[in-house]
Amino acid sequence: MIALTTIGLGVAGYLTYVHYSGATPVCSLKGNPCSQVQKSQYSELAGVPVALIGLIGYILILGSLLAREGELARFATTGLTLGGFGFSAYLTYRELFTLHKICEWCVSSAVIVTLLMVLSIWRFLRGDARPAGASPSSTGADELEHAPSVGAAHS
Amino acid sequence: MSGSRDDELEDDEGDLTRKQRREQARAQRKELEQAEAAGALRRARLTRLGIVVAVVVAVIVVILIATGGGSKKGIPKTAQAKNQTVTEVTALVGGIPQSGKLLGNPRAPVTLEYFGDLECPICKEFTLGALPSLLQQWVRSGKLRIEYRALETATREPEVFKTQQIAALAAGKQDKMWYFVELFYHEQGEEDSGYVTESYLQQLAGQVPGLNLTQWTADRNEPALASEVASDTEAANNAGFSSTPSFQLGKTGGTLRTFEPGTYTEPAPFNAAIEKLLKS
Repeated sequence: MIALTTIGLGVAGYLTYVHYSGATPVCSLKGNPCSQVQKSQYSELAGVPVALIGLIGYILILGSLLAREGELARFATTGLTLGGFGFSAYLTYRELFTLHKICEWCVSSAVIVTLLMVLSIWRFLRGDARPAGASPSSTGADELEHAPSVGAAHS
Repeated sequence: MSGSRDDELEDDEGDLTRKQRREQARAQRKELEQAEAAGALRRARLTRLGIVVAVVVAVIVVILIATGGGSKKGIPKTAQAKNQTVTEVTALVGGIPQSGKLLGNPRAPVTLEYFGDLECPICKEFTLGALPSLLQQWVRSGKLRIEYRALETATREPEVFKTQQIAALAAGKQDKMWYFVELFYHEQGEEDSGYVTESYLQQLAGQVPGLNLTQWTADRNEPALASEVASDTEAANNAGFSSTPSFQLGKTGGTLRTFEPGTYTEPAPFNAAIEKLLKS
């Protein structure tokens, strides 16, 4: 998951650079639809570049993955990746049904965040390595308040 | 004596069995409690997950609604708004020579081919963004001529695409195609809303200053116009274009090359390329 997030960080970082520098993004598709998507009105949300929103999102996901693993950290990762997936779904909708362009960079980020979401949900529902019986009376809320630490986070 | 020993042994065995039973029951209770705790934890996690999903969905819906506006209006409702659009378009292309799909002096040294789809929102961004400055700086001064060519991208129905493009070309028969194209982009409706109807095209044509509507209606049946749409598509395919807006730029009469400006709202990349061609 850390590796995936790092790749996503690179993609969002590159698109943020492209946005602010005005450079033409590298694109293998003819007519450079990536550039058309990046320059469209949907490349910003309330004046904030969506690439920057993505970059901040990946930084937060990475932070939650590097935090001491526990119920709270796993929940944070899940919440962030779900938010990222929702935002990516919105952007993909805009690409396909509003702009009728597809940007390779955006697609790669959408795939990364989808994988991260699936993995984080699985990780969150699975819980930690210790069975719940280790503290039989504990509930989810208890665990959230007293998040156990089982060592460093890993992907 | 032996009888009482037997009784004691039986009591011991009974005690052991009761002890084992108690342990078994305790173990079963523990397992049950563990299973209940695990179930409760799982339910709590699923509840939290559900809340997050609901929040994300709500936020995305809000974003969709908030960003869904903009160029959705289509033909203006009031006569005043219609007149305002016509005034804006006239200020842009009025007084510039037009010939069919060509805008500008036919002998201008530089040619820009603009491949567009009238329903394409990014083409609208270019037409209302970088294009006005190009018209002012280069086309009016006779240094640049622009040819509008058709490439279906945003329009979902091929028949609708053909009909709207032929309508534009029919206005071109009266050398007023650029009025029609500019008006179309200025009043572009919501995508995939089916706003391009016969009534929409008629109203748009009605806004083109000085257009003879009877002649325009008759010209729309000319097979040559349909062939022209097909020819534009072929030219776009030969150039390797699959999206709009796409451009070809070069010296008039020479080979035109694909031009990727990188922006559709700023004229700077176009200006630099045109200046370079004029100097060469």
